[in-house]
Amino acid sequence: MTPAKFIVALPALLLTALLFLSAARAAPPMTNEEVERRVLAITDDLRCPTCQGLSVKDSEAGFSQQIRDKVRLMVIEGQSDEDIKAYFVARYGEWILRAPKKEGFGLVLWLLPGLAIVAAGGAIFWRMHRRAKAQAAVPASPLAGLTPAQRERLERDLRRFQEED
Amino acid sequence: MTPPPSQAAAPASSWLRSWKFWSVMGGIAALVALFTFGFTTDPKKVPSPLVGLPASSFQVRQLNGTEQLSLAGLRGKPVLLNFWASWCVACREEAAILQQAHLTYEKERGVLRVIGIAIQDKPEPALAFARKYGKTYFLALDNEQGDIGLAYGLYGVPETFFINAQGIIVCKKIGPVTPEWIRDYAERGKTTCDQS
Repeated sequence: MTPAKFIVALPALLLTALLFLSAARAAPPMTNEEVERRVLAITDDLRCPTCQGLSVKDSEAGFSQQIRDKVRLMVIEGQSDEDIKAYFVARYGEWILRAPKKEGFGLVLWLLPGLAIVAAGGAIFWRMHRRAKAQAAVPASPLAGLTPAQRERLERDLRRFQEED
Repeated sequence: MTPPPSQAAAPASSWLRSWKFWSVMGGIAALVALFTFGFTTDPKKVPSPLVGLPASSFQVRQLNGTEQLSLAGLRGKPVLLNFWASWCVACREEAAILQQAHLTYEKERGVLRVIGIAIQDKPEPALAFARKYGKTYFLALDNEQGDIGLAYGLYGVPETFFINAQGIIVCKKIGPVTPEWIRDYAERGKTTCDQS
């Protein structure tokens, strides 16, 4: 190949190399099952805009159907789950997510039940521990702390009391 | 036989001075407040995140005419963008109000563009609805995928957006519009949004 021909062919060679590289780096195409699995997972996290307490996945409302189609399209386009959810959050607000985000105030909502359980468990344990300690401090019998002389005197008084009765 | 003082029930006043009592009461009050807020707040009344942002552009073909319209091409004039449907009962309620806004602010004064986008609808019933309620302003259909409705984060119909001359969404109204709501934005230049 002469230098002149090489210069003419160079852009085509570079383009071919670029196409080859981009094809090699691209993720393998998803199967229909993989697409549907992701669509189900994402739409399960999204709230149906027109229903009460239903996810987009479980709703047959027109809006939910359209959201499912949009999610499917975005999945096929190669967008990440986070990007797809962010698309809907940008239009509907955080309300569209069935579970609060694990950041900011949402993190408090996630941690609150666990903290409440730990606090309740701690309170029960502390109370039981205190009760056990108090019981251990009380003598087993009212006579346990008496000296033999005091015990003898008490028994004698009791006998006399019973005889007088 | 009275129990010894140490075993006697604590008087009510001592409970009132107990930090444990107030901690439990505070926790219960916080939960009640949280549930009251949660169960009495309509999530759809949460302010739209789109308010204050540029309106998403779209291109549509007129349903009741031959015009092709691009929202971006309307920059320079405020737009009243109404989403409706022929099957929507509340849309009947606001039909005359929107038509009057079209006659007053668009035809007479030329200070506003009124656009109606029908969602989840078909041309025939949408046109029949338009004829029945005398709608003569620009009407179009969203596509089957509902791209425009989704881009505007619709919860249902009717919903109306007021978009200013710079193409920024100033307010979103869920439910039928009122003449006062339109007047506030089209005539009085209101720039804030009390979403309800």
